[in-house]
Amino acid sequence: MFDSSILLSLVGLPLFGMILLFFIPDTNPDLQKTVGLSTSLLTFLLSLLLWLQFDMSTPKYQFVEKFFSVPYSNMHVYLGVDGISLFFVLLTTLLIPICLLASWDSIKIYIREYSIAFLFLEAVLICVFTCLDVLFFYIFFEAVLIPMFLIIGIWGSRERKIRASYQFFIYTLVGSVLMLLAILYIYQLTGTTDVQVLTTVTFDYDTQLILWLAFFASLAVKVPMVPAHIWLPEAHSEAPTAGSVILAGVLLKMGGYGFLRFSIPMFPDASVYFTPLVYTLSVIAIIYTSLTTLRQVDMKRIIAYSSVAHMGFVTIGMFTLNIQGIEGSMLLMLSHGVVSSALFLCVGVIYDRHKTRIIKYYSGLTVKMPLFSITFLFFILANMGFPGTSSFVSEFLVLVGSFKSNVFITVLAATGVVWGAGYSIWLFNRVAFGNIRTSHITAFQDLDRREFFVFVPCVFLTFLMGIYPEIFLNAMHVSITHLIEQVQ
Amino acid sequence: MDFLTFFGNDFKVVMPELYLFTACLFLLSYGVIFSTSKSLNYPIIQLNVGWLSIFSLGITLSLLISSPVVTMSVFNNLLIVDAFSTFSKILIVSSTLVCCLMSMSYLNNKKVNSFEYFILILLACLGMVCLVSTNDLLALYMSIELMSLSFYVLAAYKRSSEFSGEAGLKYFILGAFSSGLLLFGTSMIYGFTGLTNFEEISKVVTGINGVTDVVTYNGIIIGLLFVAVALLFKIGAAPFHMWAPDVYEGAPTPVTAFFSIVPKIAIMALLLRLFYSTFYDFASLWQPIFLYTGVLSMLIGSIGALYQKKIKRLMAYSGIANVGYMLIGFSAGTVESMSGLIIYLIIYVVMMVAFFSFVLGTQTEKDAKLNMHVSDLSNLGKVNPVLAMSVTFILFSMVGLPPFAGFFGKMYLFLAVMQSELYTVAIIGVLSSVVAAFYYIRIIKVMFFGTSNHYVTYKQMDKLNALVLSSSLFFLIFFFAYPTPFLLCAHKVSLGLLL
Repeated sequence: MFDSSILLSLVGLPLFGMILLFFIPDTNPDLQKTVGLSTSLLTFLLSLLLWLQFDMSTPKYQFVEKFFSVPYSNMHVYLGVDGISLFFVLLTTLLIPICLLASWDSIKIYIREYSIAFLFLEAVLICVFTCLDVLFFYIFFEAVLIPMFLIIGIWGSRERKIRASYQFFIYTLVGSVLMLLAILYIYQLTGTTDVQVLTTVTFDYDTQLILWLAFFASLAVKVPMVPAHIWLPEAHSEAPTAGSVILAGVLLKMGGYGFLRFSIPMFPDASVYFTPLVYTLSVIAIIYTSLTTLRQVDMKRIIAYSSVAHMGFVTIGMFTLNIQGIEGSMLLMLSHGVVSSALFLCVGVIYDRHKTRIIKYYSGLTVKMPLFSITFLFFILANMGFPGTSSFVSEFLVLVGSFKSNVFITVLAATGVVWGAGYSIWLFNRVAFGNIRTSHITAFQDLDRREFFVFVPCVFLTFLMGIYPEIFLNAMHVSITHLIEQVQ
Repeated sequence: MDFLTFFGNDFKVVMPELYLFTACLFLLSYGVIFSTSKSLNYPIIQLNVGWLSIFSLGITLSLLISSPVVTMSVFNNLLIVDAFSTFSKILIVSSTLVCCLMSMSYLNNKKVNSFEYFILILLACLGMVCLVSTNDLLALYMSIELMSLSFYVLAAYKRSSEFSGEAGLKYFILGAFSSGLLLFGTSMIYGFTGLTNFEEISKVVTGINGVTDVVTYNGIIIGLLFVAVALLFKIGAAPFHMWAPDVYEGAPTPVTAFFSIVPKIAIMALLLRLFYSTFYDFASLWQPIFLYTGVLSMLIGSIGALYQKKIKRLMAYSGIANVGYMLIGFSAGTVESMSGLIIYLIIYVVMMVAFFSFVLGTQTEKDAKLNMHVSDLSNLGKVNPVLAMSVTFILFSMVGLPPFAGFFGKMYLFLAVMQSELYTVAIIGVLSSVVAAFYYIRIIKVMFFGTSNHYVTYKQMDKLNALVLSSSLFFLIFFFAYPTPFLLCAHKVSLGLLL
C-alpha cells in the first residue's frame, strides 16, 4: 500500500504544511513554528519508511510513480529512488527539522514566511533527488534558487547579504542555462528526457563531450569546483545559520548527485575523457582552499572553505569510477552533510549569543561553555577525518579508490587530510582554549535543551557512519555496481 | 445589385469587428453629446465611458469566442477569418479589456477627466483586430494606420505633461517614417507583381512556377525588406528600437502598459501571417533578417536595461529583449517554433499585465504618486510584504526561473530554436537572459533589502488592479500544473496557419 504513494506523500506533506501555515494568524508565531517543525518531522518519519521498505538487492528504481506528463511531448515524469538517491532524500528530510529547530529563537521577522520557505525547499529538494527526468531535474534544480535567494536575502545577518544572494543567484543561473540547452539538445536528439531511457542511449563521442561540458558548467558551480566556488563562502557567511546548514548539507550535494545520476551514466566516454580535468580541479580545490581557510577571520567562512575542500574529495572519488571511490564519495557527501551542518550550527550557537563570528573576539570558551566545547570538538575532529567518525571512513574509501586509478593525485589529495587537521585544530584552539577573554564578552551561557536536541542526531549519525558504515553502504552497493557496469 | 447580396455572408463573419466599430462610434457620440451638455452641467463621464467600453469589449470577446471558426475570406479577399486570426483577436481584445480595467484607477486619481482615452483605446483595438485578419496589402496599411494614429494620440494624452507631448511627437514622427517605409514596400511588391492580395502573391511566388524573372524577384525582395523593416519598427526590435524607451517613459503609465502589451500581439500575428504563410518560400531570405534582429534586440534589451533607473524605461528595454526572444523563435520557421512563439506571447502578455497592474496599483500615501523610479520601491518589502512577494514572483517569472510560467515560455521557444539547429543563437539567448536576470533581481533587491532615508507608505491597492494582479499571478504560478489547454490551442492554431 505504501509502495505506491510514499514518494508523492513525501512531496505533498511539506506542501500541505505550507498551505496550513497560510491560515495561521501572525499573532501566534509559536503555533507557526510548531506547525512547520511538526510537518517536517512527520516528513522525516515518512522518509524513514522509505528506507525500511527499500529493496537493497536491485539496482532498479523503486517506489516509482507517475508525477505528471506534458502534452505534445514524450515527457512522462516519474518519481523513484534507487541506492544513490535514497540517502539524499533522507538527508534532506533530516536536516529540514534540524534547521527549523535551530532557528527557533533567532528568527524574529517574517516567521511564517521562514517556515514556508523551508517547507517549500524541502518539497523541491525531494523532487530534485527523486525525479527521473532530466528536464524536470533542471526545473527543480533551478526552483531551489527561489527559496534560497529569499532565505539569504531576507533573513541573512549583515549588509553584505545582498551581494551574497546576488552572487549565489547569478553563478547558479549562468551555469544552469547551459545545462538547459544541453537538455533541450538531448531532447531533440532522442525525443525523450527520461533518465531510464537515456542511460540506454549511446551518444556519439563529440556530442558526449559537448553535453558533458554543458552539464559540468552547471553542476560544477553547485558542487562547487574551484574556479566557480566564489559564491559559496559569501553565501554561507551571509546566510542565517539554518540557511548555511541546508546549503552545506543538501544544496551542494545536488551537484554531486547530478554527476552520479546524469553525467557519468549518460556520457561515460566523456566522463573518462574529462577525468584528468576533474582530478586537477579537485586537487587544486583541496590544497588551495585549505590554505585559504587559514587566512580567514570569520568562522563561517572557514567552514565554508573547508566544505569546498571536502567536495574536492567527493569529485575525485566520483570520477575514479570504481566501487570504492564512488561509495566513498557518496558516504563523504552524507558525512559532510551531517558534519559541516553541525559545525555551522555550532557557529550559530555562539553567534546567537554574541552576534559575532570573528575569531578574535572569542577565547577560552571551554571554561564557561563545556558542553558546547565538547560538541564543537567532536565535530572539528569529525571534519578533519578522525578515525571513528564518518569522514575517516569516507575519505579513506575515496583515497583507496583513487589510488587504483591515479597515484600522484592520491598523494596530493591525501595532503588535504593534513591541511584539514591544520585549520580545524587552529580554529578550535583559538575559540575554545586559551585564557577566557572578558574584554568583549562578559556573559556566557552553555547549550540549552533545544540546542542539545539539535546536536544529538548529528552526533549519533557521525558515530554511526564512522563505526558501522555498512548499513549505508549496503543500500547503495547494488546501484553503484550497476552504475559502474554502465560505464564499462 | 442589392447591397446585402453583394457582400453575401460577409457581415456575419466580421460581426465582432462590426460590433466594436459601432460601439466606438456610439460611445464617441455619447461622450460628445453628454460631456458638452449645458443642461446637465458638463458632467465628467470618463469612468462612465470607461465602463461602457469595457462592457462592449466584453461583448466583442464573447462574440469572438462564440464565432464559428471557419476559414473564410470576406470583402473580396480583403480580410480573412480563420482559426489563427480568431485566436489572435481573442488575445488582443481580452488584453485590451484588462488594460482598460487597469487604467481605471489611474484616470480616476489623476483627474484626467476626458472620456476620449477609452475611445482611442477602442479604435486602436479595432485597428489591431483588423490587422490580424488582413489578407491584402491595402487592408494591412489601413488597419496599421488606424492603430498607429490612435497610438500617437494616446502617447501624447497627458496634455499637462511635456514628457507626454514629447513622447507623442517622437512616436508620431518615427511612426510616420516607418509607415512610409511600409507603404513603399507594399508599392514595390504591387509594382512588380501587380497584386495586393496575400493569397495571390503567395501563388505567384511559390513553387516551380514561381518567379523566374530576376528583376521581379529582386523587386519583391526589396519590397519585402521594406515591409519587414517597417513592421520591426512598429514592434520595437533592436536596430529600430530608439523610440521605444522615450515613448514608454513619456506616455502616461496606463498607455505604457497598453503599448507594451497589445501591439506586440498584433504585429507578431501579422508577421506570422505575412512571413509564415504568404512569403514562406522566401524563408531563406527573411530568416537571417529576423535572426540578426532578434539577437541584437536580446543583447541591446538586456544590456540597455542594466542602467535604467526608471521603471517604465526599464520595462521598455525589457520589452525590446522580449521581442528579441520572440524574433529568434520566429526566425526558426517551423510549426514548433510558431506554437512556441504563441505560448511565449501568451505568457509574456500575462507577465506584463501582472507587472503593470502592480505599477498602476501602488500609489504613495502622501501625494498619490505612482512609482516612477526603481528606488521608490525601497520600502515595499517592509510595508506590504505580500505585494512585494507577488512582485517577486512576477519578476522571477520574467527571469525565466522554473516553475513559473516564464520559464516554460522560454523553454518552448529555445526548444524550437534548437530544433532548427541554431545553436549559437540559443547560447546567446540564454546568456542574455542571465544578463536580464540582473536587472529583474535588482528590483527584488530594492524592494526587500533597499534602504531609504524616508519612510514611504502606500495606499491600499484598488480593487480592479488587485483583481488583475492576483488572477494573472495565479496564472503565472500554476501554469505548470495544467498547461494542456494552452499547448493544445497554440499547436492547433499554428497547424491551421501553416498547413
